[in-house]
Amino acid sequence: MLLLKLALVNISRNPRRSIITVLAVGVGLAALIFLWGFGDGTNEQMRENVIKLLTGHIQIHATGFQNSLSPELTIVEKNNLLQNLSQTPFIKAVTERVKCEALVGTTEHSRGIILTGIDPERETTVTRINEFVKQGEFLGNKDDRSILIGSRLAEKIHVALGDKVVVMTQAIDGTLAGYAYHIKGIFHTGSQTLDELSAFVTLAGARDLLGIEEETHEIALRLNDRKSIPKVIIELKKTIPSDQNEILAWNDIVPETEQWVEWSEAIIRTILIAVMVVIGVSIMNTVLMSVFERTRELGVMLAIGTSPGQILRLILLETFILELFGMILGLAAGFAVTTYFGNVGISFHELEAAFSRSYMSTMTYTRVEWHHVVESIITLFLLTSFIGLYPAWKASRMEPVKAIYHS
Amino acid sequence: MELVEVQNIQKIFRENSQAVQALTDISLTIRPGEFTALCGPSGSGKTTLLNLIGCLDRPTQGKILLDGDEISRASQQDLTKIRLRKIGFIFQDFNLIPSYTALENIEYVLWLQGVRAAARQKSALEICSRFGIEKLIGRRPSKLSRGQQQRVAVARAIIHKPKIVLGDELTANLDHKTGADLMDFLKKLNQEEGMTFVYATHDPVMMERANRIVRMQDGKIINAS
Repeated sequence: MLLLKLALVNISRNPRRSIITVLAVGVGLAALIFLWGFGDGTNEQMRENVIKLLTGHIQIHATGFQNSLSPELTIVEKNNLLQNLSQTPFIKAVTERVKCEALVGTTEHSRGIILTGIDPERETTVTRINEFVKQGEFLGNKDDRSILIGSRLAEKIHVALGDKVVVMTQAIDGTLAGYAYHIKGIFHTGSQTLDELSAFVTLAGARDLLGIEEETHEIALRLNDRKSIPKVIIELKKTIPSDQNEILAWNDIVPETEQWVEWSEAIIRTILIAVMVVIGVSIMNTVLMSVFERTRELGVMLAIGTSPGQILRLILLETFILELFGMILGLAAGFAVTTYFGNVGISFHELEAAFSRSYMSTMTYTRVEWHHVVESIITLFLLTSFIGLYPAWKASRMEPVKAIYHS
Repeated sequence: MELVEVQNIQKIFRENSQAVQALTDISLTIRPGEFTALCGPSGSGKTTLLNLIGCLDRPTQGKILLDGDEISRASQQDLTKIRLRKIGFIFQDFNLIPSYTALENIEYVLWLQGVRAAARQKSALEICSRFGIEKLIGRRPSKLSRGQQQRVAVARAIIHKPKIVLGDELTANLDHKTGADLMDFLKKLNQEEGMTFVYATHDPVMMERANRIVRMQDGKIINAS
């Protein structure tokens, strides 16, 4: 208790310096928590954007379809598969799609796109593309000659709501197929891939264009949550032979999302190291100054029988107390700021063009991921404790005679 | 049996690669209960000798025995233990720990010895009462007069009943009366409790209180009556 009291009193001797150090640790930790919150919020939104706009949690295709988009590669034993899926736990919704590469345009302008035939009703249980229709309406089940196109695509081919466009593709028999579609809706997701390179028609409309009957290219699944993906994949692989159909998680389909996450986490860790160094130097400065100012006092303590180990513990305890106060402050401030911006969001509308390339939302909601908070605290604690070792060791190695006569 | 035996010691300090001979061939014995003054001008080696006897430093050559233990070759760890158990220090400016109250300063050595809080406080309060400073126990050193600080410093030096109490220029920064009071107080402790005191001074008035005077000059003992 005496050692603790001595440490506390020593810290209070120079309140301004101690407060600055506590603030350095606190602001540093708060910044780290916010930075992680920003990164985690952005990454989480990006993942969810990919899932809800494009992929669903899991997709099933005929083996090889994902890479080739060959129209003849339809899902093997689709009906049995759908029957199985309806009995698999954690699956919330299932939808079928027909997909092909196509050319869409008018007499003057055209563009290469991915045309997706969807079941409008079931599609909305798996993805949320319907929520992004900014002009006109989403497709209905009987809109077999209607098309939904992205806002950028509309701009590129100079068409507007209600106009007609021609879609051409290679049918399953190898012939060139083409139909005219009436633009029923224009969607704007913020994703360049979707807004410029995608169009949707009904499942029946796409099957008619490609000349296929009940076959399907893609089954997309929505699960209860993302954590269930590995379990569901393991379950599905038991019943689906891999030489016939392939099962892909959303991040197998859009791997660049996870690569982006890794890259952004690497950047955050780099910043984290820089912040830690600043905090470490601040702590080191405070404790070293405090030791230097107390040279004579520490010399007396050593002279009257305090062991070097006790001096070491005293200085470390002082460092630890400063860290602890700083961390409590930083944790509270970091959590408060991150939670606040998690509710109100941070707008990046001016950066839409840059954000849209990677499915990032222009409104970022920060998010507290506790494993990153704990990682920041532990790293900060270990680093500052390690840094605190130097002045503590220096103090414990003092020669009492020199220290006592130090002026 | 001698309490302190200093045998042919030398102390050489190295400063900027130059050797400075601080003590030359010093031999001295101190018996239990002595009240010894180390006298001599500045630079005569009093403080160096006191530091060697107090286990704060080690001689370059020679041997020192304290209460039968050879301290001249002991490890730092052992020297710390010897200082804690057998030696009491009274420093020139008393050097109390400013963050502690008077009571905490006094009981600090007992805490280092691992004495339990209740026993520690009991001993500290007893000694405060004996020294007439019981009303000052909650005060920090900065709130004590020089005379009060010296009593706290003496209480700290003797609370653990050391074999020997060492003092360096105890009265150097005190006015004559306060200095004389302190020496009388120490002398009384020496006479009543048989406590051994060795102190360095160059003040003739303080020398008068000693029952033995060791005169030093240029790092040598010139008279050890």
